[in-house]
Amino acid sequence: MAARHVIIGGGTAGLNCIRTIREEEHETSEITLVSAERPYSRMVLPYYLGETIAESHVFTATPASLAAWKVKTMIGKKAARLDTQNHAVTLDDGATVEYDDCLIATGSRAVKPPIPGADGPGVHCFWTLDEARAVIAGVTPGSRVVMVGAGFIAFTILNAILARGAKLTIVEVAPRILPRMVDADCAEIVEGWLAKHGVLLRTGATLTKIEDARGKRKLSFTKGDPIVADVIVMATGIRTNLEWLDGSGIDVATAPGGGIVVDDHLRASVKSVYAAGDVARGANLVTGAPEVHAIEPTAQEHGRVVGANMAGRDLAYRGSLVMNIVEACHLDIASFGQWDDGAAEVYTAIRRERSQYRKLLFHGGRLTGAVICGPAADIWTTNDVGMLKGLCSTGVDLSAWKSHLRQNPFDVKPAFLAARTVTRLLPESILGRPSNSPELPQSVVAR
Amino acid sequence: MKVLALHPDKCTGCLRCELYCSYMQTGAFQPSKSVIRVSPFEGYTSYAPYTCTQCDEGWCMTACPVGAIIITAAGAKDVIDDTCVGCKLCTIACPYGTMFYDGDTGKAYKCNLCGGAPACAEACPTQAITYEEAAMGDWIGDFAAQRTVRVLAREVA
Repeated sequence: MAARHVIIGGGTAGLNCIRTIREEEHETSEITLVSAERPYSRMVLPYYLGETIAESHVFTATPASLAAWKVKTMIGKKAARLDTQNHAVTLDDGATVEYDDCLIATGSRAVKPPIPGADGPGVHCFWTLDEARAVIAGVTPGSRVVMVGAGFIAFTILNAILARGAKLTIVEVAPRILPRMVDADCAEIVEGWLAKHGVLLRTGATLTKIEDARGKRKLSFTKGDPIVADVIVMATGIRTNLEWLDGSGIDVATAPGGGIVVDDHLRASVKSVYAAGDVARGANLVTGAPEVHAIEPTAQEHGRVVGANMAGRDLAYRGSLVMNIVEACHLDIASFGQWDDGAAEVYTAIRRERSQYRKLLFHGGRLTGAVICGPAADIWTTNDVGMLKGLCSTGVDLSAWKSHLRQNPFDVKPAFLAARTVTRLLPESILGRPSNSPELPQSVVAR
Repeated sequence: MKVLALHPDKCTGCLRCELYCSYMQTGAFQPSKSVIRVSPFEGYTSYAPYTCTQCDEGWCMTACPVGAIIITAAGAKDVIDDTCVGCKLCTIACPYGTMFYDGDTGKAYKCNLCGGAPACAEACPTQAITYEEAAMGDWIGDFAAQRTVRVLAREVA
């Protein structure tokens, strides 16, 4: 009998897993996708908000494409319980699906701070497609929008809110913006850039309550004047969707960041169960430490590694690099690896007049992290971003170049080339073979 | 499969490749829009072209959240403009630094081997860039290492 794979979660990890199973398997298995929502990409919701793409563009699979991939779908249903003894998933409508192996890829959800008024009208998160639709309906030309939180998610939708003609104020509890993505020097450059582009910013602001003020929203803080807004967007963090696994026997870490404990094949503590994406405590490529990244590239790599293993391969996962990039008002901001490592040797360079910043972090001859910031119009920003990723991910020996890079943190390319990073990169692949184009594999078309 | 082979010893730094490339890729004779880039070494006395290797992993392609990067008949990874949303994830996923972003169109772009007739190779007057049956290699690494010995020695001293 064909293997029965159950994929729980239709996000990046789940869909990459399905694709890879179909690419790798020798005989057609039975794949069931359980997903609370129609599969779409969260990464591109900001472009839907900014009206540069239509809503149809966000979907990563359609009923037709899933049928072509021979996937049985249970969309609009949530997994409610995992019975690891009997290899069965129970859904929120009471239905039960049996599996030979299953993937837990239930992702994260946005969370609001527990303050009065946070659940009132006009207060939105921006995480799901439904939430995006609500923000789109609320943010109209001339409206006043307050974004609570100045982290990565907030920055991904900043351009779109401005493009809709709204006036934007960002309030952040921390003393600076992007506290988990860049350091204080870089944050200062970004803050100056945003001010020049008409974004109001209030840092160190603790929100205490949200009240209705004649149809508008009034935000009060522990100090400073209240702010009145038409729409509030809460970008105050995410939480992994793991509660449904209570009692399943799946080992979930209590350490900071939590997540399902997995081995180097992304297998959970219970046989025949895998975890991927935001819920999985996979390895960090630089340090080897298990941690939840909650970023798109890690979910994609996790999903593909699990797919190969489900299809019968014996594929170890070497770990993923933490990385983020966001463009705000044509300023590129990116960081890689262990950019906030107090034990590292750090070289920095700031060109304030150009809003450019570089930070390189070393352990011995190895680049272990980097921060990069500069106007998107600066050609080299885009290419340097990639080369810094290559240097961090390969860990090539840069001992001979450290003196040069200390004096010239902007001059990455000669070091990248001369360290023969390309030689190291060429044989690398996640699946141990060339990747396929995103279209249907021939094996599925032919069947 | 034919690949773009780069022979830095033959490169004169004339930048014709960048002009032809930018014209093919964006319609503008503008080196800043080229996806092949010539780097100077040793005080602008020697030069090396550098571009996408069309790597096996296709980091740009596997990272793209909307499947906008595909493999063409020529074996190149290419961006489908209508599908790309401009999120730049490919620019951090590509460990070679060979993804580009066009601020005028808001889309990512990259070397697509010009559909199997690369303009850079055609433009090169010294055969420093050739399009031939070969295994992909690190064409520039040894050259870059040799041509940077002096600059590094000076800095350490």
